[in-house]
Amino acid sequence: MSRKTKISLTEPELIQAIQNKKKIGAEALYDMYSASLYGVIFRIVQHEEIAEDLLQDTFVRIWNSFSSYDSKKGKLFTWMVNIARNIAIDKTRAKDFRNGLKTEDIENNVLSIEGSFQSEMNPETLGLKDLIEKLKPDYKLILDLVYYKGYTHVEVAEHLEIPLGTVKTRLRNAIITLRKVFN
Amino acid sequence: MKDLNTYLKSGILEQYILGDLSKEEMLEVEKYAAVYPEVRQELEEIENALQKYAEKNAIEPSERNRSRIIDTLQIEDTKIDVPVVSIQRTSGDIKFYKYAFAASLVLLFISIVLLINLNSKLKESYNQIAVLESGNQKFSNQVNYMERKLSETKNTLQYYQNPASYKLITLKGSDKAPEASIIVAFNPDREEVMIDMSNLKIPLNDKEHQYQLWAIVDGKPVDLGVFDSESAAIGMKKMKSVKSAQAFAVTLEPRGGSVNPSLEQMMAIGNI
Repeated sequence: MSRKTKISLTEPELIQAIQNKKKIGAEALYDMYSASLYGVIFRIVQHEEIAEDLLQDTFVRIWNSFSSYDSKKGKLFTWMVNIARNIAIDKTRAKDFRNGLKTEDIENNVLSIEGSFQSEMNPETLGLKDLIEKLKPDYKLILDLVYYKGYTHVEVAEHLEIPLGTVKTRLRNAIITLRKVFN
Repeated sequence: MKDLNTYLKSGILEQYILGDLSKEEMLEVEKYAAVYPEVRQELEEIENALQKYAEKNAIEPSERNRSRIIDTLQIEDTKIDVPVVSIQRTSGDIKFYKYAFAASLVLLFISIVLLINLNSKLKESYNQIAVLESGNQKFSNQVNYMERKLSETKNTLQYYQNPASYKLITLKGSDKAPEASIIVAFNPDREEVMIDMSNLKIPLNDKEHQYQLWAIVDGKPVDLGVFDSESAAIGMKKMKSVKSAQAFAVTLEPRGGSVNPSLEQMMAIGNI
């Protein structure tokens, strides 16, 4: 199954190792973030092979365009997960992808992910259920549409036929809930 | 800013973290984040919450992806890996160069041997050419000598073939040189006196002395000039003129000749 020893560095160490193109930087980058990034990518494309290819594309882009990351503007993960999301969302909007997969209703997709992967998730997790239960379904839906479907706030408002201000408020409340759960 | 609290709650910071803002809006958020620690703090908490959310939703990709993906990243510090890879990649080249180098050495060796061999042959040829040239030179010298001798002989022959014009007087050796024999051709009309050098039989003179020809005219010796006895002498040597003479005589005198003959050095004499 998974490797028993994973390389882990502090964020400044990791950043320096990647900047210097060190092998340990590449290994630590993968070991520390591949699961989180793959989770995001898989939820967006919902296809194992495609998700694996996109994970590779994501790491290559992170590695090659690392000079454009500015640690003053935010955390490394935020920058990386946005690259992963952009690559994956771009893929879902490509013609070959839409033709190749049956498009299911967005709400069903989100539910199907939770049904099939909850058991395989991080075993240290107290239980995603606790979290989900704390997240109001309306909040969670908006978060997932934005986070996993690449919807802009305007698109979410149009899709759910609710005002833009409501979208912003619900998204903020969703994140506030997450903050309370994790802190 | 109108109201910091309203800005924090506006939802724009969440949009910023989710990458859902225009370039201008992003720059604005970054400007505020740089000025207000509260904005910076709020952004960090949103980032942390979304990172945790992603971690909770993490899915472990299958193990084969790890090496596949890490291998596609361009590593620049692999001091161990890179040379191994490059050696494997160029091992064929090294083998080729090894053989090429060996072949070059063999060719070099063969070339040197051929060069030495050729050089010695060239030297030999030069020697042969030098020998031929000197032989040729000798031959041509000989031809020249023969030609000169022939023409002189022809020249001489005319005196012998013309007894009407030239009287041939043979001077016989005296007691001093009994073997001596000198032929003098004399033409009284032209007042010419010649010595046949090719038939000169008289001991060779040294550097201090020369032979002197005298004409005996009315019992008195008249100087007709000096000559040397040389083994390779040819042709007729023209002497001083004289109108008439009763006899010719040859004496050995100091080089350059004497005014009066040294009678004790009389070598040959012949009457007309």
